[in-house]
Amino acid sequence: MPLFGNRTHLLSGKTRRGNRGQSESPSEPDSGRGDGSPVRKPLNGRLAELLADVTDVLGTDTTLSVRRFRIFGTFPAAMLFFPNMLDQAALNETILKPAMSAPPGSDLSDWTAQRLMDRLANEALWHTDCSETEDFDALIQGLLHGDTVLVADGSNAALVIGTRQIDKRGIDQPGTEQVIRGPREGFVEPIGPNLALIRYRLQAAELRMRQLTVGRKTRSKVVICYMDGLTDPALLAEVERRIGAIDIDAVLDSGYLEQYIEDNQWSPFPQVQYTERPDKVVANLLEGRVAILVDGSPLALIVPTVFNQFYQAVEDYTERFMQMSAIRMARLVALVFSLVFPSIYVSVISFNPELIPTEFAVAVAGGRAGVPWPAVVEVLIIEISMEVLREATIRLPQQVGGALSIVGVLVIGQAAVAAGFASPITVVIIALTTIGSFATPAYNAALALRLLRFPLIIIAGIFGLYGVMIGLILIANHLLSLKSFGVPYLSPLVPVNFEGMKDVLIRGPLWWMKRRPAFLKPGDRVRVGPEMTEPPETIGEEGGASPTSTAKE
Amino acid sequence: MTKATRDVTATQASAVLVSTIIGVGVLPLPLFAVRAADTGGPLVTLLGSVCALIGLLFVAALGMRFPDQSIIQYSERLIGKWPARAIGACLIVFFALLTSLTAREFGEVVVTSVLKQTPVEVTVIVMLMLAAISARNTMSTFAYIHFFYVPLLLVPVLLIVALSLKNAELLNLQPFWGNKPEGMLQGILTIAALFQGSFVMTIVIPAMRRPAKALSVSLYSILIAGGLYVVIVIAVVGVFGAQETRKLLWPTLELAKATSLPANVLERLDGAFLAVWVTAVFTTLLSSYYLTSQSLKQLLRLEEPRIFTFFLLPFVFVLAMVPANIVKMYEAVLNVGKVGLALTTVYPGLLLVIAWVRKKRGSAHER
Repeated sequence: MPLFGNRTHLLSGKTRRGNRGQSESPSEPDSGRGDGSPVRKPLNGRLAELLADVTDVLGTDTTLSVRRFRIFGTFPAAMLFFPNMLDQAALNETILKPAMSAPPGSDLSDWTAQRLMDRLANEALWHTDCSETEDFDALIQGLLHGDTVLVADGSNAALVIGTRQIDKRGIDQPGTEQVIRGPREGFVEPIGPNLALIRYRLQAAELRMRQLTVGRKTRSKVVICYMDGLTDPALLAEVERRIGAIDIDAVLDSGYLEQYIEDNQWSPFPQVQYTERPDKVVANLLEGRVAILVDGSPLALIVPTVFNQFYQAVEDYTERFMQMSAIRMARLVALVFSLVFPSIYVSVISFNPELIPTEFAVAVAGGRAGVPWPAVVEVLIIEISMEVLREATIRLPQQVGGALSIVGVLVIGQAAVAAGFASPITVVIIALTTIGSFATPAYNAALALRLLRFPLIIIAGIFGLYGVMIGLILIANHLLSLKSFGVPYLSPLVPVNFEGMKDVLIRGPLWWMKRRPAFLKPGDRVRVGPEMTEPPETIGEEGGASPTSTAKE
Repeated sequence: MTKATRDVTATQASAVLVSTIIGVGVLPLPLFAVRAADTGGPLVTLLGSVCALIGLLFVAALGMRFPDQSIIQYSERLIGKWPARAIGACLIVFFALLTSLTAREFGEVVVTSVLKQTPVEVTVIVMLMLAAISARNTMSTFAYIHFFYVPLLLVPVLLIVALSLKNAELLNLQPFWGNKPEGMLQGILTIAALFQGSFVMTIVIPAMRRPAKALSVSLYSILIAGGLYVVIVIAVVGVFGAQETRKLLWPTLELAKATSLPANVLERLDGAFLAVWVTAVFTTLLSSYYLTSQSLKQLLRLEEPRIFTFFLLPFVFVLAMVPANIVKMYEAVLNVGKVGLALTTVYPGLLLVIAWVRKKRGSAHER
């Protein structure tokens, strides 16, 4: 059903385009079309000429099928389609068969070639998705999209019939965002099932999906999803403006789009969140965010994004709040560790050994006794080899990956220490750092921290703790000045919002978070019904008749 | 500041003031206080804060009268174009000096206590660059930056004070009014001069969402910052005693050295304290640097303030390098501070009286 809803939407866009082409053409014959856009002309009803034009545009494409036949045995017609992009059995049954045999009991004498297509679509064909066009360009686009085009001699119109059927992989568990507790569905590449997955979770009349086409060559469908009356209209307008301004030839993944719509391209921090989980998209839509899906990409973009989203996971909300608050704090510690641990180690060892307890300082010095380099060089070497190992493990086929990590981490790590190449404490520090960076749920945010670790290590080697602090101040100032679609990146921490703080360091109980995040300026702020102000157990005594609980049934 | 960016809340404005006031001045503060009045140091500090509060209230009252303008702009309406510009230029030079001396002072602290082989020029230029880069931001980001760092300023100091209290001796603090009341006035002025960064209020008010809150913002921020100052002086004098404190160049740093965390997690705290203190110095520097460049922009009526941030850097750096050594530098800090009091307290006071007598108000079209 949702798929169908989208289809009709798509279809209306197509007819609109066709009409525009028609109305334009009498006034300005051919002058405005010398700007490199493909030939756009009205159909003139001559079948042979039309077929020649199609061959002209598509070249001698041998995968194109042209099936000539007579409609009701009378009107010469042709059906054009790419057989690999559709289900031919359905084509035979729902289009060819009714088009060839006249409707029972109808009088063929009042059928004219002029109004043939209109009547065909309304009275004869057994197919849901038919649109009439008189625009040659729209016809070619439909053909390339995988639709079937029906043309007849003597008719100025053509029928574009939505028959596209592309094989897709099954809906699977999301590979990069696995959860122990929570839905197991992830997006797939075609946009249709993805939109269906969203609408299946969010059966609200306010859910809007607006379609755009981006990419001169790929003509990729881009769908902007938002909640009407909830999403800030200014935000929506800004998203549409940024996407509308994109003029590139190919959008092969939502990642291409991200790089054109983010606020600050020179920032190491991602300002757009991506996800392959429909439930995450729905949750964000309900907070007043905008989701952007691209045909061919299993990753949806979510804007605006604030920093705290990068260490939140779906499980934070599906599992009970106290445990997840503790786990979230552990994740936060890991995040900070992955950024500063090596640089603090370097500066303490090289500049401020008096900070650590004497016994430990002696042990560290003993471990470092045979190492020929200063701490900063040693840490950099191990850190870089760790990055190489990590990259190698990701790129290798899964069967070999395990072996590599054992050889790399265990054998090399052990041997490096035994050979006096690195001190054991350095290996421990780097290992902790690496594991810390794996604990960040968002891969792109972990990448940013991974990158920033290196300048911090170097500045720690030069200025010690003072340098680390300078580096951290620079990073913090950058984060504070960053905005994602007009929303300050560190909200709701700065500028402070106490309602939002319930979901930053801890994950407050769901009934605490009665309002949607204010920094997204949602049209309707109330998220939990007024009867839910008390903890849930008291609701149960009253009969559980709160509006939200009934709505969920 | 354009009118479009009126989004600094009262909390953020207080944060700006608190983090501006708390800066490198905290390190020698107990020394100044004890020099003036021995065991009366805490009292002197308290009176100094009150004195600073009066100056800040002048600025706040003026800002509420002219909610769309900074002192550079409304002074022209009050005392005429050229006198106002002359004093405006003095203010800019003064804040450039304040910026440079802050950077120099902290540079000296760093090379004396942690980076012993690094030339002071390097640490000074690093701090100034940091301020210059961050001064390119808008007013709202400026307020965010201050707000973000406030906990980092308050927590370490309060932690060190709390940990050092076990070594404190109440007897060291008596008599509370000190032994030589005649030095007190000097001390009060010296300590009030440490609060001068709070003059940044004059450019914060035009960006405030509700300028009418300026008075309470000033009051709360002096309460927090002044309270912290008093607590530090009490802790230092309580632990070391007045006579010992006189011999210490940066008594607050010595206090950090003398304390250690329970369970011996960190054996000494001064290195860590100094590292965290970089943020405090940074926020102070940022404020005075921002104030200088914004005022210069307003004085010259330029639209784009960003070019100034780096244009100012060489001048400020040279100014910072003028004092030959720490002793000369502290002489300069004290003298500049006293001259500055005339500019940051007496001048706004006069302006306020003139505005009151001439019944001038800011244009009412905005609010």
